[in-house]
Amino acid sequence: MIRRARRGSRLGVGESRAAIIALGIAAWVVGMLWIFPVGWTLLTSFKTEQDASAQTLHNGLTFGRYSDVSHSTTGTLSLSAAFTNSLVVVVVSTVIVMLLALPAAYALAIRPVPKWRDVLFFFISLKFLPIVASIFPIYVYAQKWNLIGTRTILIVLYIAINLPLAIWMLRSFFIEVPRELIEAAEIDGTSLFNQLRSVILPIAAPGIAATALLCVIFAWNEYFYAIQLNFAGASTMPQWVIGNVSTRGNFLAKLSAASIIACLPVVLAGWAAQKRMIRGLSMGAIK
Amino acid sequence: MAAVQYEQATRLYPGTPTPAVNELDLTIDDGELLVLVGPSGSGKSTALRMLAGLEPLDEGRILIGGKDVSSVRPRDRDIAMVFQNYALYPNLDVAANMGFALKQQGVPKHERLERVRETAKLLDLEPYLDRKPRNLSGGQRQRVAMGRAIVRHPQVYLMDEPLSNLDAKLRVQTRTELVELQQRLAVTTVYVTHDQVEAMTMGDRVAVLRDGLLQQCDSPAKLYHEPANLFVAGFIGSPAMNMLPVPSTGPLEVGGTEIGVSDDLGGERATIGFRPEAVIIGDGPTPARIRIVEDLGSELFVHLLIDHDGEERRIVAKVDAPFVGSSGDNVRISLHGTLHLFDAAEVRRQSVEL
Amino acid sequence: MNVAADATLRPTAKGQVGDPFSSPWRRRLPLLPALLFAILVTQLPFLVSIYYSLTDLKDKTQSLIPEPTKFVGIDNYKAIFSDPFFRQAMWTSVQMTVFAVVLSLLFGTLFAILLDRHFFGQGLIRTLLITPFLLMPVVAALIWKQQMFSSLFGILDKVLNFLGFSSVAFISDHPLASIVTVLVWQWTPFMMLIMLAGLQSQPSDILEAAGVDGATPFGIFRQLTLPHLRRYLELGALLGSIYIVQAFDAIDVMTGGGPGSTNVPYFVYQESIGGGFRYGSASAYAIVVVIFSIIIATLALRLLSGLLKDEERA
Repeated sequence: MIRRARRGSRLGVGESRAAIIALGIAAWVVGMLWIFPVGWTLLTSFKTEQDASAQTLHNGLTFGRYSDVSHSTTGTLSLSAAFTNSLVVVVVSTVIVMLLALPAAYALAIRPVPKWRDVLFFFISLKFLPIVASIFPIYVYAQKWNLIGTRTILIVLYIAINLPLAIWMLRSFFIEVPRELIEAAEIDGTSLFNQLRSVILPIAAPGIAATALLCVIFAWNEYFYAIQLNFAGASTMPQWVIGNVSTRGNFLAKLSAASIIACLPVVLAGWAAQKRMIRGLSMGAIK
Repeated sequence: MAAVQYEQATRLYPGTPTPAVNELDLTIDDGELLVLVGPSGSGKSTALRMLAGLEPLDEGRILIGGKDVSSVRPRDRDIAMVFQNYALYPNLDVAANMGFALKQQGVPKHERLERVRETAKLLDLEPYLDRKPRNLSGGQRQRVAMGRAIVRHPQVYLMDEPLSNLDAKLRVQTRTELVELQQRLAVTTVYVTHDQVEAMTMGDRVAVLRDGLLQQCDSPAKLYHEPANLFVAGFIGSPAMNMLPVPSTGPLEVGGTEIGVSDDLGGERATIGFRPEAVIIGDGPTPARIRIVEDLGSELFVHLLIDHDGEERRIVAKVDAPFVGSSGDNVRISLHGTLHLFDAAEVRRQSVEL
Repeated sequence: MNVAADATLRPTAKGQVGDPFSSPWRRRLPLLPALLFAILVTQLPFLVSIYYSLTDLKDKTQSLIPEPTKFVGIDNYKAIFSDPFFRQAMWTSVQMTVFAVVLSLLFGTLFAILLDRHFFGQGLIRTLLITPFLLMPVVAALIWKQQMFSSLFGILDKVLNFLGFSSVAFISDHPLASIVTVLVWQWTPFMMLIMLAGLQSQPSDILEAAGVDGATPFGIFRQLTLPHLRRYLELGALLGSIYIVQAFDAIDVMTGGGPGSTNVPYFVYQESIGGGFRYGSASAYAIVVVIFSIIIATLALRLLSGLLKDEERA
């Protein structure tokens, strides 16, 4: 029975209570099943390796693996180093992406340039080139300019990765700003910068937050460039996690703990901002 | 305060066959309230936006205070505009909304506050100065939009259907307040509306537009009593003027009854028109049947059917209360008042008194 | 200040403002930083790739220092068309992308429908459902590889055995399906968010009118909701495809390549720094892929219901 109730109200006219409860239960079942792999990993991360391998719980739960994984050993990437690298790279690249994309979206939405459609298509087309294809030229030049193993090269590349998406999304949020508001600001003599600051940004704020969050997600989780352009000891969180995949024995619990730690910041950010994401998306990403 | 002039102003949207505004010639005197009225698509909003600088001119020019502003940016034209949906900045409170333009122009803070407060007093907005637009009623928002324009002391006010979003009663009330305000401030105002009642009650002069062409620009009285063509005659006045087709020569008849007037149109006659108040229900010569009676209390509009030239035609009569009669009744009517004669090109050529 | 007006502007489109007095160059100004950056960082490597694709650049010593090159013209491109492995990779790419996108759209829509109504714990369930999208793709792949699919430690096998079925070597026997599973698991939440936005943007008065007119719930869904959701489905498909077609992490972690699960990106990777070190021919493959994608995307965008059209509203 797919009948929509008015937002917030519990029972539409003619809806059976049983159907509502059934749907609620279905949602719970689906949710639990879908999250099971994560939940299972979370559980594993608190086990001893013995228990993890055998899927038993004889030795109870412990934080032991978390502390194992946080201690650094010489020669391997330490958690604090990886975390700092990731943090810096993600924050800097996202800030710069927004600084570049906001005016660009203005130039595509509010006061469109001639041929704005072509420009938009150009930006989207940047995502057609598989990043694996350009890795070699990038590597060659990065080596030439001594950028291998630096945060700079990752920052630059992550900006390039996220820029098309940011421009696309911001543009669709900007065209939601009522035209009359911009015209009124025009007549009032507002400069571009002030228009952005006082009129557009406040209205498009949820959409801007959603865009920034997506950029953070993609940058934090990026694996390929991080691996290829960094030495084992100077990389970001994804590489740190992989570093915990041991070929020698089975350290399932340790790997689970590492995975949880690595994913936690973005997961928490995503949880906190999910309402804004949905609101942002329904506001106008879809146009 | 300045006069405004449209000289052959034209706007043609690329890809459309006819101009949205077609060689508009209009002069608005200093301090005058001129209303641009017409049905949707008539070009009235476009004409206003051209004055604002939000639309470019393809031909012709526009002058404010004698200066050609055709290629001057909106912000440099010294105008203020009130939008239909008010366009209030949602994240600023009322005071900040009103002071926004002043801030952009670099007016010092204390002067800004002073002018905002002065305008707020004028519009009874003082208790709302620190509220955000979402916490205001429609009428209050409308006043803030007005205040935002007034505080700038511009040369010209532009208003794009500012009352359309108010409920009927508030609209009537605000209408008179607006007119009083404009007279007090004595600033040239160009006002766009689709509502001919608003146009008639507010404007010093009214410009009627249709399909981008100016039909007539005159005082409300002249528009009512001396419409330039069929369109103006039918657009101005509510209920609309009664119109009947007539043969181009021969005696003039209405509903089978000879009117007994002669015209000197030399065979170019095509349509006659007479207002509802010219139809008298009583012992007249022409038979008619009542379709419906609309009772407004002090007056009634009686919709009638007459047999004119072999066809059944509908006309409306305006009758003072009290009136006895209901649907289906057969009555007799006569005409007493002004009869307008139009030619085949819809131009009014002659008016006779009956 | 007299500025020539731009009479070609049509400010009737939603969100776009006339300001006919800003010259085209003035309007382009805010765009320039992003444009310049994009061109520098992406087009230069692209051009260099084109150059490499016309040479036989390779690195037999695997030292990441390539040998001197010889210009070979379009030999690399000719080789592509007779390369069965590349065709296999293309086919795998198509399958992977189509299955992953379609399935995640399907699940995403179903979940959105479930989540669109108010029930106890709605916020919590939505939070949980979003989570897989937030994980690192490598972590997601690891989780499925070791905790779910693995025959030694995986839970799925235990469950199968418990239910009386024999063990299944998921990854070795069904590499493509395994990868698609991980992709769907991660991208369903993304689609769900988009579809939720779509469901919530439906004006309720139309639905009410349909109800009053006597439509059944299924009827309403089929005739009103689905058409409305169409552009959201299209957006989800477009964005999802752009990212899923480039899927790399899951393949690297779960199967390391191999005939059933190598898609085009992974294939190109294997050609270049992933083992083949044949940079010249790898670049040629990449260029072919790009041209292909542009053609497909142009066609797709033409077909899609005006994702790039301005909203005409006076």
